[in-house]
Amino acid sequence: MRNDTMGIILTGDEQIAPLTDIRANSALPIAGRYRIIDFVLSNMANAGIVNIGVATESNYSSLMDHIKSGKPWDLDRKNQGLNILPPNLEHKSYGVIKGNIDLLSGIRDYIHKSHQTYVILSLGNIVCNIDYEAVINSHIESQADITAVYKNLTGVEESDLTRYTLMEMDENGRVTDVEIQPYYPKTNKASMEMYVMEKALLESIVDECSARGDTDFVKDAIIKKMGGMRIFGYEFDGIFFKIDSMKSYYAASMSFLDSECRKELFNRERPIYTKTKDQSPAKYGADAVCTNSFISDGCVIEGTVENSILSRGVKVAKGAVVKNSIIMQDSVIDEGVEVNHVVFDKEVVITKGRKLIGQESYPLAISKGTII
Amino acid sequence: MVSKNCVAMILAGGQGSRLGALTKNVAKPAVPFGGKYRIIDFPLSNCVHSGIDTVGVLTQYEPLELNTYIGNGNPWDLDRSLGGAYVLPPYQSGDTGEWYKGTANAIYQNLGFLERFDPKNVLILSGDHIYKMHYGEMLKAHQESGAAATIAVMPVPWEEASRFGIMNTDESGEITEFAEKPAEPKSNLASMGIYIFKYDVLKKYLTDDERDPESSNDFGKNIIPKMLADGQKMMSYRFEGYWKDVGTIQSLWEANMDLIDDPPKFDLSDRKWVIYSRNYALMPHYMGENAIVKNSTITEGCDINGTVEHSVIFSGVTVGKGAVVKDSVIMPGAVIGDGAVIEKSVVGSDAVIGAYAKVGVSEATDDNPYKSKYCTHGIVLIAGEAEVPANSDIVKESMVTA
Repeated sequence: MRNDTMGIILTGDEQIAPLTDIRANSALPIAGRYRIIDFVLSNMANAGIVNIGVATESNYSSLMDHIKSGKPWDLDRKNQGLNILPPNLEHKSYGVIKGNIDLLSGIRDYIHKSHQTYVILSLGNIVCNIDYEAVINSHIESQADITAVYKNLTGVEESDLTRYTLMEMDENGRVTDVEIQPYYPKTNKASMEMYVMEKALLESIVDECSARGDTDFVKDAIIKKMGGMRIFGYEFDGIFFKIDSMKSYYAASMSFLDSECRKELFNRERPIYTKTKDQSPAKYGADAVCTNSFISDGCVIEGTVENSILSRGVKVAKGAVVKNSIIMQDSVIDEGVEVNHVVFDKEVVITKGRKLIGQESYPLAISKGTII
Repeated sequence: MVSKNCVAMILAGGQGSRLGALTKNVAKPAVPFGGKYRIIDFPLSNCVHSGIDTVGVLTQYEPLELNTYIGNGNPWDLDRSLGGAYVLPPYQSGDTGEWYKGTANAIYQNLGFLERFDPKNVLILSGDHIYKMHYGEMLKAHQESGAAATIAVMPVPWEEASRFGIMNTDESGEITEFAEKPAEPKSNLASMGIYIFKYDVLKKYLTDDERDPESSNDFGKNIIPKMLADGQKMMSYRFEGYWKDVGTIQSLWEANMDLIDDPPKFDLSDRKWVIYSRNYALMPHYMGENAIVKNSTITEGCDINGTVEHSVIFSGVTVGKGAVVKDSVIMPGAVIGDGAVIEKSVVGSDAVIGAYAKVGVSEATDDNPYKSKYCTHGIVLIAGEAEVPANSDIVKESMVTA
């Protein structure tokens, strides 16, 4: 147990239509049986953090249903544990959440009442398996005011770097400049949107920002106060995906077909937990062909599946061909259907003989419950 | 304590010695079954679906794994404030205390537990059968008939009837005679080892039975015949459906195979009668570039790079490149090396089959050092954590221990 640190997860607001029409993006299904937030939650749980607040913005019912009591993460505690914190709009003059400061301000009572010294703040749409314990220890050791986790994105194209908040650091690792999604990136050190600081500091930042009408933690707190605060970078050298667009969602999903990626993200020392559904094992029929795919329990496969990710309870009928696709829970691919480069949300049904072909750069996404 | 209409007691203390090396370190109810389950998941899940929320699990033989598996009962939704799942090992009290001597004695020793719930009825189950059954309907029939006891029976083929405890009944279903393994059965209705007793009657008979030094303290041998002799009203409750006693290697293998027939003899995918089990944090299974799979079930955490045909693959199993697994049951965490060929085998948890080994392929020989009386019908058993060296040839009907 790590009794000196609490965790706060901010569910992001990046829209990935049509998948986020019905859910917060942190609740997006990924890698078959998981939701994106499982990674950050498990990382915190694996570091022994036992007081975690999930600040939600909108569309949080699917997230609440997923997390419930926090049992899968061993966070159904008598004291503290996992808390889902719906937006508190009462004290807002305009009633609209304009930035993460508003979110944090809405849960300031919860933050204040927590007895931990440190807080680790993370966005909920980050996929990685990180040792938070090491991050917290490094923060304490360096006597930084804020420790910001980053990843050195060497070899990543400039056009892709512009998705990130980029940080410049001096030789001691102290952050000297931060730019949010700059058009011309000056560095390749991308912030992973995870910050460790003393809880008291976070409280005073939130208080000050919200008193001034500022709305963004990075823009208004980190950037404006950089001179007066010791902000240090912590380099993470593992696999890291930021899920902020259909393209990044599709690419991150497909990387689970790589064994090195699976080995790192689902390592035995720091397991990734998720809600269990007690589905029976996946079943393969006499004519099934299934290669290079990631298949969840409850699937019934009688057709062909290649280079694809199937969530729980997906049915692929005889003669159907599924290639390069992400098929979410309980979708049905009927006889003779051909799909390639598609993303099916839950409970999509594609009837006999239909064809749907997307492109790798533009996967065809179908919203929940659609019948084709 | 709130009184309960019916409390279930699962007899889970048996060793299951006919399962050979599979039950060396675990009790039979904890033996893995059906890809991601253990045998005890079936009676536990049946209880929950039947509206029975108080279940005592009587353990004795190698209880560690079973006790940790059941834990606080949460996977079956049995972590309740009033009732829930209880693991009940034998205990010492005052200057007495002894092992469970028989099925009836096991319940007798736990009358104190039952007393706390002041139950009207007690459901006795065994922890080694595979089936889906609504005990609530049986309880309803039991209460409507006003019987002192109701026993679940099922029709078995006449030629096999002499292997079972056979109930002779009148046309109303009332039991007139009970014959344990009769040479010449008068009926083909076999007892399934599922009893519902009125609690006060059960308590009296268990207490009387305990005083009888001649008794072997067994429900089938002592309690049921005694109640019949005393003229207690005993009803049969007919069950039709899949039910299997997985007491031998052969029947365990067969019951697993029943899941992958087309259509399956026993279906686990019914979302209305989910079999719950303790789930571990494992990723979905990965089917490699060269994987070939037919008529099989595969579950979380597996990494399949070879061929799997007509087999049940449990969680976290690795099948190497070019390996062939056919008509087999591969239990959790086993590793099948590259190019190994496994046929008609039961491979225990975390066993390692070396590269290019042959298991269950070659015909049985007379001088086979691994020959075992537990392995019949050509089946091979590789015990949990056993290692089969690379390139070795394990012939049919062998048992390889760790």
